[in-house]
Amino acid sequence: MEVIFQLGVSGALMGLVYALIAYGFQLTFATSKSINFGQGELVMLSAFISLTLQNVGLPYWLMVPAGLMCGVLLGLVVERVAVRLALEQKSEGWILMTIIFGLFAFSAAENIWGRDDHPFPTPISSEPMHFFGISVTPVELSVAIGVLTVMGLIELFKRKTLWGKAFEAVSADRDAAELMGISAKRTIMLSYGLSGLVAAMAGILVSPITTVGPTMASALILKAFAVAVVAGLDSGFGVVIVGLFLGALESLASFYIGSGWREAPGLILLILALAMKPSGVFGKVSIRKV
Amino acid sequence: MKKILLATLLLGFSTQLFAADSIKIAITGPFSGGSAPMGVSMRDGAMLAVNEINAAGGISVGGKKMKIEIIERDDEAKNDRGALIAQELASMDGLSGVIGSVNTGVVLAGDKHLQEKGITKIVCPAAGSASMTQWADKADKPGVKDLSIFRFAASDGIQAAMVVEEAINRKFTNVAIIHDATNYGVSGRDDLLNQIKLQGNKLNVVATEKFNIGDKDMTAQLLRAKTAGAQAVLIWGIGPELAAVANNMDKIGLKVPLIGGWTLSMSNYIDNAGKNANGTLTPQTFIEEPITARAKRFIDGYHKAYHVDSIPSPMSAAEGYDAMLVFAAAVKQAQSTDTKKIKLALEDLKDPVKGVIATWKHPYSKWNPADEQTHEAFRRENVVMGMIMNGRVVFANEADKQRLIKQEK
Repeated sequence: MEVIFQLGVSGALMGLVYALIAYGFQLTFATSKSINFGQGELVMLSAFISLTLQNVGLPYWLMVPAGLMCGVLLGLVVERVAVRLALEQKSEGWILMTIIFGLFAFSAAENIWGRDDHPFPTPISSEPMHFFGISVTPVELSVAIGVLTVMGLIELFKRKTLWGKAFEAVSADRDAAELMGISAKRTIMLSYGLSGLVAAMAGILVSPITTVGPTMASALILKAFAVAVVAGLDSGFGVVIVGLFLGALESLASFYIGSGWREAPGLILLILALAMKPSGVFGKVSIRKV
Repeated sequence: MKKILLATLLLGFSTQLFAADSIKIAITGPFSGGSAPMGVSMRDGAMLAVNEINAAGGISVGGKKMKIEIIERDDEAKNDRGALIAQELASMDGLSGVIGSVNTGVVLAGDKHLQEKGITKIVCPAAGSASMTQWADKADKPGVKDLSIFRFAASDGIQAAMVVEEAINRKFTNVAIIHDATNYGVSGRDDLLNQIKLQGNKLNVVATEKFNIGDKDMTAQLLRAKTAGAQAVLIWGIGPELAAVANNMDKIGLKVPLIGGWTLSMSNYIDNAGKNANGTLTPQTFIEEPITARAKRFIDGYHKAYHVDSIPSPMSAAEGYDAMLVFAAAVKQAQSTDTKKIKLALEDLKDPVKGVIATWKHPYSKWNPADEQTHEAFRRENVVMGMIMNGRVVFANEADKQRLIKQEK
């Protein structure tokens, strides 16, 4: 019995990282109906920048806000370079552009920091703690706390502030919002900035576990896609649930079925979701008037 | 301006003259990227030997002292680049031979071009079994009659044998095998299972688990090993994932030794696993401890020449150094820079070569497609068991250390 709980907890904690990255997809999809396919590279770049900041002597607690700011900047760069023009022309060019941005970021990282994986120093201990026979490391707990805090704050921001309300309004109906005097352009910038922030947070949180390297996010990003699609692209609450569930399921599957089957349940879930509820388990069915 | 032009012209002319009087050897390997610590250490170790030989005036060939000239090529651990480089080298005029390759994939992609032209190559330090077995007899296809490829590294076969032997010596009966899903990991698993059978089935494999490149959460695989009662984890993979395994073992409280291939001495394992790497056991051909005069001279020489306090991959450096000495001995014996004559000399090396790993007595013999050992330099006794301790590789068994000290005397 303990084994099941241990597997569930370990997997679910990793699942929260998928959820955070998936949340980054949601933020931009809500306002602009576009997704940054280079989100994984954003996670990786932010992690590398944060590592560099630490290496030049910035203490951890200062590095975190600085790293997050870099994430926001990167998010804005993606919006300006890869998304804005395509959206203005109502074309789907952002798909290719964000992929290209990701590829570019990947080669840049390889050339600047090399192809090696680097350890990411953190003041948080990785000595395991034991609760009722389940081992959890403080680093893993910090991931969980960090993910939930960031998502909670952003949700709060969306509900309680004027900018946040503008965000919700553009998400609900872009044309109507513009008629009400809300600048959709600024709101989309805001959403890309937030999505960059979320990516940077994911990078900082997960790096002590995964180490920092150009390919660090490639495994995560596919899972995050699955989470975003299964949960639906407009439910922040949904990604957490699906992330936790998928993470735990992966662990349990590789234990009970065999380690070769680790990825299978996630993929089956993805296929089922697409076949039976394409808008996502927690998604809203969008009504389109023609 | 004219003077400068003249000077460069003359200089160009003189180096060309010099080139005709030198022994041209190519060194290939990954000098950038994830495998770079091994490639760079191998190259720098080999260069140390070249510098020593050249400082002493070179090798006397046909009554004339000739210096060694090195041609460097970075294959970036990419198979396609390795193939291109091999094609370039195969058609290069006056090339005496090639030393290098870290990655088995690069060897498989490139060596056929060298073999076709009969260019002598010493593969070093790539350890994958396939590098040599590709030329040997197989059930469906006979091997090549004549081979110009030699190896100077402890093959995975030897390493797997030692890993199993170590587990038996430590009186374990139940072990788990964990490997990555690449060719390297899967063939490592097969080598291990094969060795367990060969060494009398004394080990009971209670779990066989795999993981993918990029996986960081190994909890499930390790819990299977733990619940099945594994007393040791035998492992075949590369740096970053090995580190994830070591870190996860600590987390779930699986406090058993990790024993596996030499990749456990890669810096990206040792650095990323930190204190969790302590106690890891892995076969090594060279350990960076100045236990003999020769080892001390080599280690000090390396540190001084490249301004480091520790060699990134001591094994690769020592193998590169010894491989170069063996090659130089073959040139001397052949009394020629012709690659085909050097090959014949390598197959029947008369004088022992005093290297830093061992004194190499007749390391190779005439190629026999039924037995690839004829072109393999390393035997079981050339390899020792290493243990990771506080970020460095040390001797795991005092007996190995004493044996090496005694050998030198």
